[in-house]
Amino acid sequence: MLLRESSEQTGSIDVAAVTDPSLASGLLNGAHLTRLVGACVSGDHNALVDACEAAETAMSAVAVRDVLIVAAGFNGITRVADATAIPLDRSTAEATRELRAPVIDSFDYAAKAVRYNPG
Amino acid sequence: MSASHGSDTDMTIDYANARYAPPAALVAAHADAWTRIGRAGAFWTGTQRAALIAESRAALHCSLCERRRAALSPFSIDGRHDGATGDLPSTAQELAHRLTTDPGRLTRRWFDRLLAAGMNIGAYVEAVSVIASGVVIDTLHRALRVEPAPLPDAQAGEPNGASNPHARDEGAWVPMVPRDSDAPTATRLPAVPNIARALSLVPDAVALFFRTFMPHYQLTGGDYAISRSEVEFVAARVSALNQCFY
Repeated sequence: MLLRESSEQTGSIDVAAVTDPSLASGLLNGAHLTRLVGACVSGDHNALVDACEAAETAMSAVAVRDVLIVAAGFNGITRVADATAIPLDRSTAEATRELRAPVIDSFDYAAKAVRYNPG
Repeated sequence: MSASHGSDTDMTIDYANARYAPPAALVAAHADAWTRIGRAGAFWTGTQRAALIAESRAALHCSLCERRRAALSPFSIDGRHDGATGDLPSTAQELAHRLTTDPGRLTRRWFDRLLAAGMNIGAYVEAVSVIASGVVIDTLHRALRVEPAPLPDAQAGEPNGASNPHARDEGAWVPMVPRDSDAPTATRLPAVPNIARALSLVPDAVALFFRTFMPHYQLTGGDYAISRSEVEFVAARVSALNQCFY
């Protein structure tokens, strides 16, 4: 939701790029961000080295560091959310209804149960 | 950069050889988390909490986890995990492995089976906090290209059983402490969003995870070398990769 708010403020971000990395986000270094995050979350050492070297040139070393710090934090907090299946906050659900369909809605816990563990 | 924290141990998190030096406050928070994990919590001993970290790491090389990740449904693959220490019940081992390697495909039936197999719900919440905190710290170590920290040094002591008696069913799998209002604030989120309540059944679990997490992300402000839009894009992209609904 906060990305959507940033998008509204800057008017230049395609939030669909969050779930479809083939799309241009509109962010100046969006491709680098996508590549860094993918390498960070996957733990692929070679991919991480390559992504960091490319991003350092385009951004800066400290900017790359901050991308990795944010990504590492969210790699943990998403696990808290997934392991507890907390519902969306009402304001988030209302503000992001269009943004979430169809990809993020497919991550809904009930939808996952049907897809992965029907009983 | 390194930091030691806590009076009863010299638990050290060392980022001295990191590709990029993290802020001192983050290093201190990680050192504090490592010390806390080594102490007895509400439902697990220090030895067991350290073992949860060991199992989380072992999951990255577990053949069962690898086969499950490759399967259309992880629940179609049976087997035994490649364990790390043998200090944990099988339910805790399953939680550590699945939460580490395939968090986006956890289901209510899986959760219910853990409880039916004997896992206390407070122990579940606490274990989630320990494992998720370890994931944050280990992810940053890998990202900054430094060796993983040695396992937390387990301290003697018994779990205190402390849980919040006000926690109740609020629509999550686990009980949560209710909030006064879900009206949005200036951030367009409630004053206490659900993610902040997710672990509230066990106060120690809340403290451990969020003290670890907070130096990684500030909802407003924050001293970043990237723009707020870039911060939020990174956060959202990680959530998408992990198939996180929230």
